[in-house]
Amino acid sequence: MAVSSSNPGFFAAIETSIADTELRRKLANASGHHLESAASTRAEFPRYDEEREAARSLKTAAIGRLDELLIELRTRLEGNGCHVFFADDAAAARRYIVDLARVRKLKRAVKGKSMTTEEIELNPALEKAGVEVVETDLGEYIVQLRHEPPSHILTPAIHLSKEDVGQLFHDRFGTAYTNEPERLTAVARDNLRAAFLSADLGITGVNFAIAETGTLVLVENEGNGRFSSTLPDTLVAVMGIEKVIARLSDLSHFLEVLARAGTGQKITTYTNFITRPRSHDELDGPREIHVVILDNGRSRILADPVLREALNCLRCGACLNVCPVYRSIGGHAYGYPYQGPIGSIISPALFGKAAGHLPFASTLCGACREICPVKIDIPKLLLHLRWKENQNNLQWPRGAAKARRGAARFGRMANHPRTIRALSRIAVLIMRPFAHEGYVKWMPGPFRNWTLTRDFPVPKAPLKHRSADQPQSN
Amino acid sequence: MGAFVRILASVKTALEMRTLVNSEPQVEASVAAPTLIEPSAAQIQVPIARVTHRAELLSSFARELEAIGGVFAGSVSPGELPTRSVAIADQLGALIIAVGEGVTHDLLPIANLLEQHHRDLILFGAAGDDEARRAALARIARADLGIVEAHCAIAASGTVAVVASPARPNALTLMPPAVLVIVPADRIFPDLASAIEQLGPDLIAGRRTVFITGPSRTADIEKRIVIGVHGPRNLHVLALWPTDV
Ligand code: SF4
Repeated sequence: MAVSSSNPGFFAAIETSIADTELRRKLANASGHHLESAASTRAEFPRYDEEREAARSLKTAAIGRLDELLIELRTRLEGNGCHVFFADDAAAARRYIVDLARVRKLKRAVKGKSMTTEEIELNPALEKAGVEVVETDLGEYIVQLRHEPPSHILTPAIHLSKEDVGQLFHDRFGTAYTNEPERLTAVARDNLRAAFLSADLGITGVNFAIAETGTLVLVENEGNGRFSSTLPDTLVAVMGIEKVIARLSDLSHFLEVLARAGTGQKITTYTNFITRPRSHDELDGPREIHVVILDNGRSRILADPVLREALNCLRCGACLNVCPVYRSIGGHAYGYPYQGPIGSIISPALFGKAAGHLPFASTLCGACREICPVKIDIPKLLLHLRWKENQNNLQWPRGAAKARRGAARFGRMANHPRTIRALSRIAVLIMRPFAHEGYVKWMPGPFRNWTLTRDFPVPKAPLKHRSADQPQSN
Repeated sequence: MGAFVRILASVKTALEMRTLVNSEPQVEASVAAPTLIEPSAAQIQVPIARVTHRAELLSSFARELEAIGGVFAGSVSPGELPTRSVAIADQLGALIIAVGEGVTHDLLPIANLLEQHHRDLILFGAAGDDEARRAALARIARADLGIVEAHCAIAASGTVAVVASPARPNALTLMPPAVLVIVPADRIFPDLASAIEQLGPDLIAGRRTVFITGPSRTADIEKRIVIGVHGPRNLHVLALWPTDV
């Protein structure tokens, strides 16, 4: 596997994650049952493939005339009484929001789940300006209490067990230790309800921005996005330029596939339509709405006709759930707020050269392409990025060069059936004494590396003999 | 302003780059080259399954609502609405109850009957000044039950669509631990597309709108589903069967 040498830290992170068997257990635990239920929700919906096709075409069409739609969106939003700020990059977006907090003397912010605000690293900037920021999505709240970044775009605390959360709450709040999700959720609910009631600033993401009406659509299950956009007097909604869709009537096609792919629900619990600040006769809703529309590298993605497809992403999280690499290393090893297959595609454009190695962290198995609700051809985009990265002076790190030489040697050997048969007989003989229940967990000396990160199945008979029993295909 | 123009310019330039300038080898994983120019949105149509029978839509709605943890409390005539609502409030043990204004039906009879049963009532008038507004919100925060009428419902997913108004605040279906939603049976549509079409852009963009599908929930701890995180944990729906059919 070719890997750019730019990121030695990535290897270290991967090795740590893989060695963490507890982490792998949690990831498998959290995704196994969930994948089945999601698959059956889709199977029960006969129109699923039609809707995917529609969502894909609508999104591609919207991205294809992004310039017009952004103009229309801005006009509508302003017509509705919202403030609109376009930000070239993360720093500009941060500055705008921090300045706003300063001018309005805002002190307490509640945040709904928003990956875009992770992308622009908003929290530390606000905290430095003296604004207390509380994450209110349960998973985000948990990782914030642990001073950790989220490890999944949809379920930020997926790397933690209920015992981890129980211990955390016990340590932080002095509540009696429990590992029951119901009771832990109740503790968080009480704490966060108080935060909602006293906050003067709400910050949320945006799932879709409808150009036709200037409406922001926010989907969620908990109600934290609803609270953040209902109680505080000021709302800041942060979105990437690619979130704009043309019309209200397009929306259903996206909603029909988004939750089915991501969580296996037919539709999320809440679909919020936010269009205008509260009028003088209304009781709730923000008095002021600021919509921050962020480029931060997205126009670079747009400029590459192959890569452009990545802007169709709905951030449903499904490609992470099915990715064998994500499932073994977890989200933190990626090192960026967008993890998994789609993260490996967009991170290099959003965060620059340092993320250039990410497209190599994939087996190209294609599970992501199969599951993606807007049918993004993720493996193709990864290969495209690898090709681009290879154009820029590539060096083989030591381990990779060794592996390549080994593979070449094996290739030569495989041309001599007698040699390989003899060698595989010897291999089985060597492995047998170390086998336990069909697997070799540890081998001495030079063979150690083979079993370092996985258990090696003991072949029942030497490799070549087995294939000789089977009917010849040619 | 500068950034808007700059971003538009880079988007425009980017969109004009339809062909690659450098020669990239064809990668093996590409099954089919993506078409970069797609048909316009207007040409894309997904057929909407239209089921015409109201009873069928109602039973599908009820089934879906229950499947996601909501409670279908049956269908009643407008005359029976107050007694049934009070019965549900009793069942939930609700003492403080906030009632929003109706949409197609007057909900005041419910409020009156609740009052006769010595329940603490919260009703909404005009918002008044900021202090009055805050006080009203604080009262909703203490309510045990919120009662509203939905604008419509969706049979395929058990969803109710609630459009706010000055006397039907958004917080009414968010802050109390339990919510009772009243849905006229003739306002249940087959699916999302037909419901959005029926509501239309003027209504959805006119006032704060929310589609509610079941009680508030999370799966953030080990993907185990827990009901009632920030929003209500109890969602009851009463269908209103008009007397003229
Ligand atoms: S790439 Fe597709 S599957 Fe992955 S998060 Fe985006 S929409 Fe979901």
